[in-house]
Amino acid sequence: MKALRIAGAVVLAAGMLLAAGCGSSSSTPSATASGPITGTLTVWDYYGSATPIKPAVAAFQKLHPDLKINYQAVDYDTFQQKFSVGVSSGAPPDVATLDMTWIPEYASQGVLTDVSALSGGTLNGRPIAAQYTPGALHAMTYQGHLVTMLYDFDAYALYYRADLFKQKGIAAPTTWSQFSAAARKLAVTRGGKAVKYGFQVLPDTFHFAQMLFQSGGTILNSDDTQAAFDSPAGVTALNYMKSFLDDGTGVYWGPDQGDSSGIAGIKDQRIGMFLNGPYMMGILKSSAPEQKGEWAVAPAPINTRPGSYLGGTGLAIPANAKNPAAAWAFAQFLLTPSQQIGVYKYGGAAPATTAALHDPLLTKPDPYFGGQAPFAVFLQAMSTATPFPYVKPWSDIDTAISDGVTSALLGKQSAADALKGAAGRTNDLLAGQ
Amino acid sequence: MARVGLHPHTRRALTGYALIAPAMLVTTAFLLVPMALSAYWSLTTYNGITAPTWVGLHNYVALFQDPRFLRSLSNTVAFVILGMTIGPALGLCAALLLNERIHGRAFFRTAIFLPVTTSLVVVATVWKMLLNDQGIVNAVLSFFGLSGHAWLADPSTALYAVILVSVWQGLGFEAVVFLAALQSIPHDLYDAARVDGANSWRRFRHVTLPGLRPTLLFVFVIGIIGSFQVFDQMFVMTQGGPVGSTETIVYYLIDRFQALELGRASAVAYILLAILATLSAIQFRLFEERS
Repeated sequence: MKALRIAGAVVLAAGMLLAAGCGSSSSTPSATASGPITGTLTVWDYYGSATPIKPAVAAFQKLHPDLKINYQAVDYDTFQQKFSVGVSSGAPPDVATLDMTWIPEYASQGVLTDVSALSGGTLNGRPIAAQYTPGALHAMTYQGHLVTMLYDFDAYALYYRADLFKQKGIAAPTTWSQFSAAARKLAVTRGGKAVKYGFQVLPDTFHFAQMLFQSGGTILNSDDTQAAFDSPAGVTALNYMKSFLDDGTGVYWGPDQGDSSGIAGIKDQRIGMFLNGPYMMGILKSSAPEQKGEWAVAPAPINTRPGSYLGGTGLAIPANAKNPAAAWAFAQFLLTPSQQIGVYKYGGAAPATTAALHDPLLTKPDPYFGGQAPFAVFLQAMSTATPFPYVKPWSDIDTAISDGVTSALLGKQSAADALKGAAGRTNDLLAGQ
Repeated sequence: MARVGLHPHTRRALTGYALIAPAMLVTTAFLLVPMALSAYWSLTTYNGITAPTWVGLHNYVALFQDPRFLRSLSNTVAFVILGMTIGPALGLCAALLLNERIHGRAFFRTAIFLPVTTSLVVVATVWKMLLNDQGIVNAVLSFFGLSGHAWLADPSTALYAVILVSVWQGLGFEAVVFLAALQSIPHDLYDAARVDGANSWRRFRHVTLPGLRPTLLFVFVIGIIGSFQVFDQMFVMTQGGPVGSTETIVYYLIDRFQALELGRASAVAYILLAILATLSAIQFRLFEERS
């Protein structure tokens, strides 16, 4: 009886634990781009309410009435879990929006289709290489395989409250010292407590990389075998981020805030400046319409040189997609200039193909930004931006760097020690890949 | 003429097998087969698409060399020890109080059980807002002249904050279970103890506690199994951070699964299974020896 009860407890525990083990393998289908577009096309989209993909689905359906399109909006925060479950259980989408920072993890495992095979090197009848910038092409390629098609790009610029700058007689900062001075002027304390902040300090690899690149540093060495972010440039970058917290001009915006965009702090006017990508244009317009005319965008202030991480959204076709031909046809459709403009029009983000990048709509004065055309600023940022290293353990390296940055910003370790620890972990991960 | 047919004993046995067949089928398909598959995958590198590659015990060895896994293990153990000390203790105190004839007893019984009926995600989301540096907890502290704290942003307080929320949410369940057990202890025993001159502590020590022994076993076994699998609160409140201070074993397992390292994730599941099986066996033995 005792043995039975123990066995019962064990089985109960096992049942609770092993739900993750229900996947099944499936063979990789042969992909052909030719032939009629029929069958079912499953599309997973993480854009949310301001998606440019949903309207495109409707337009694509009109072109291909015999195709059944299964469109699913999936929350960005849980997208990776759902994607992993779908791929490993043999029920993947045919086309998925993937954050470019997730690509190495999937590409290194052979989960993504090499689009070269499907496309024959052309996109909508023209060579793929002629339709993207060299930086974008680099970001789309993993070990010689074209594993994704960049759909929108992300590179950081400075968003600032133009109305407050005008009131306080501040010019848009171009250097780090001007940046710190502007933050000091914007910060407001009441009863010894900060109530308004000059700058939003985000403890993540994206923002650390921004400062690192601007100080002349790199994340890994030239052959991606060793950490390089713990260099003096890295320590300078991290100390600079921390200086905003030390003098009370910056607000620490950790994951506990629940929203990395910082929209809560923007809405209640706590945040005067932040560094972020073009997608924030859309978020500002939809979430803070009352601040129309109060924001502007400028190139990120630099230390020794301009620099930003280069990311965005890629369109990927899983290796075990059921309908790769329809998937590639839809990806091509999404990358036509008219659909690419939808990225800006609906999502407020930045399209990735060069034809769309130079569409006049993108340089039209935007009333939300006081008549400025902020897109030009992001285009400039893109030209000097660098994608994160394409190494297999990137996801774990990202965690190690974020942990080090968080630790230093919270004052738990010095910047040098925190980066040294993260670099040690990174080197272990690179050695074991 | 003798009736030809199955022996009654065999017939009864066949009937029994037929009756349990659906349950066995479901158990085999959804528990035993996945368990066997996971056991095999834990000895391979496998991403769910390409064929698994046999690596023997490499995944297990690599896990015990991975500082992130070891940190998640130590966070989980801390969660279990603190949660399973504070939770049942408070639950028992609450049950003892609610077992007395106090004013508003029905209201307090309902109030204490209400969080149990609420979705864990909802509870975690609300507490996340309460514990935010701009949240009500800090506002109340500030009202009393105390300085606030970014409870969930600080690696030295985040785990304790999550434990507090978990204990608060689970308290009602423990209290109700203990309350039911308290009410099943015969009053004659208390009367006899009183006649023998036992004070309230001695009555609790020698009548209540022995009467609660099976319930204590139930609460600890279920509680420890549940606590070792804690995930939701961390996912909602801290996403395993800051600096991995709230990353637990299951959080790590799901992270590996998300990275399509199904072999490594399966190895984590089996390590957790081994821990739980061992602890459950020890608990059963301890309680049986003393009963």
